[in-house]
Amino acid sequence: MNPDPQDTAATLAALQAELEAVKRRDSEFRANMVKEFLDRGERNSYVHLLHEERAALLKRQQESFLDLEELTRKVEAESARADALHAELSRIKGSRAWRVAKALLGEPPAAPAAATVQPAGLAPVEPAVFIYYLHTSPFRIYRDASFTLRGWAWPQDGGSITGVRVNLSGRLYSGRYGIEEPEVIARYGAQPANPHPGFEVAFDTPQGRHSLSLEAQVGGAEWRWIMRTTIWCEPKA
Amino acid sequence: MSDDAKERWQASTIALGERSAYKKVWELQSQDLDLASLAVAGHTDEATLELTAKGFIDTLRATTGLDRNDVILEIGCGIARVGKPLSRECLHWFGADISSGMLAHARARLKERPNTTLVELATVGLQEFPRDAFDLVYCTIVFMHLFEWDRYRYVEETFRVLRPGGRCYFDNFPLDSAHGWNVFMEGCRYPLERRPAHLSMSSTREELGIYLRKAGFVDVRVHDLPNELIAATGRKPE
Repeated sequence: MNPDPQDTAATLAALQAELEAVKRRDSEFRANMVKEFLDRGERNSYVHLLHEERAALLKRQQESFLDLEELTRKVEAESARADALHAELSRIKGSRAWRVAKALLGEPPAAPAAATVQPAGLAPVEPAVFIYYLHTSPFRIYRDASFTLRGWAWPQDGGSITGVRVNLSGRLYSGRYGIEEPEVIARYGAQPANPHPGFEVAFDTPQGRHSLSLEAQVGGAEWRWIMRTTIWCEPKA
Repeated sequence: MSDDAKERWQASTIALGERSAYKKVWELQSQDLDLASLAVAGHTDEATLELTAKGFIDTLRATTGLDRNDVILEIGCGIARVGKPLSRECLHWFGADISSGMLAHARARLKERPNTTLVELATVGLQEFPRDAFDLVYCTIVFMHLFEWDRYRYVEETFRVLRPGGRCYFDNFPLDSAHGWNVFMEGCRYPLERRPAHLSMSSTREELGIYLRKAGFVDVRVHDLPNELIAATGRKPE
């Protein structure tokens, strides 16, 4: 028995419509895939991969600097404690009781003493609350003759920074403030009084241990310190 | 030849001028819509733009075929001269161009066309797009402004972004037509030191065919078009 031509035509039309619908779904899927690929901003490009790698390296570098900063702070605290103990020991050794006890008992153990020692050689500058970031971390062993501290900073109260400097154990080094930091502005928004919050200060790094104070002048008036630390400068190996 | 001589020889070569700085060249030519229209189409009125675009769409239909479900990419879309009418005949039209200025004009012309997307290319290539995505990729009135290496780069990239079974189209003017020879002679007349970076350079049928075959396309054909251009078409194997 021959099939009804009308049924065959209807079946073919239905199949054709179904095929068309499948093709359309496939096309829509691919068009959306491209749009999502573009929307993500995640480009399947070598440049993008390099950007990602750079961001990961920067994150690792910042984590390392945080570790170094923590280590530096611990070393500073221990150094201060050692200085205090030495001072106390010298005082005890110079006392009459020490001389008597030494004659009778030999060397007595030194009494522990807790004390906070201010970094030596720094000018009496008051602190202030700054938001800042240092592109070139000061938490390192210094082996070159000089170093340039780069970063950005602004006071939390919105005051205008009119100068930056480094005070290295009492020696002052003027820096440059007002460098553009478009990524900072994009992230935090512009601070009206400090539209270009970038700075750089170069300073000498003679051998030995020094106190470093990064300072800013706010509103053309008094200097305030942004951060302080101890640094160690060693000759090149 | 010693390594030293090779190094000295390489150091002695000079840049080929700014023709390769496509972004710079085309940003300068897109400062306003009239300038951009002249640069990409040779005329400024919308009616002529529409007419020439329809002529090209007919060429595309005859050489590669068009389907209303097609997802299409145009390389070097300029002000979307073709994209504006073609987007009415496909599912989605993507326009890519190296010039953000050109794309700004295209965006204004396409504001009533929701099934269009414009993408600024960072450099030569289609690195902004994923693989196996498009049904049809075409590139018209662009190859004459590119160096041969960059023409091939786009052919290679087209192969990557086309879905299996997808079609491609590339055209240029040949030297052996009256129009092609006129264009060539116009270039000849420029003083050497004033030769513009975008100066049109011809292709041969053999060149376009080789690009497509070397990139992996099958069913490669080179067409002599009524408007005295030549075009190579091909299909990515399934």
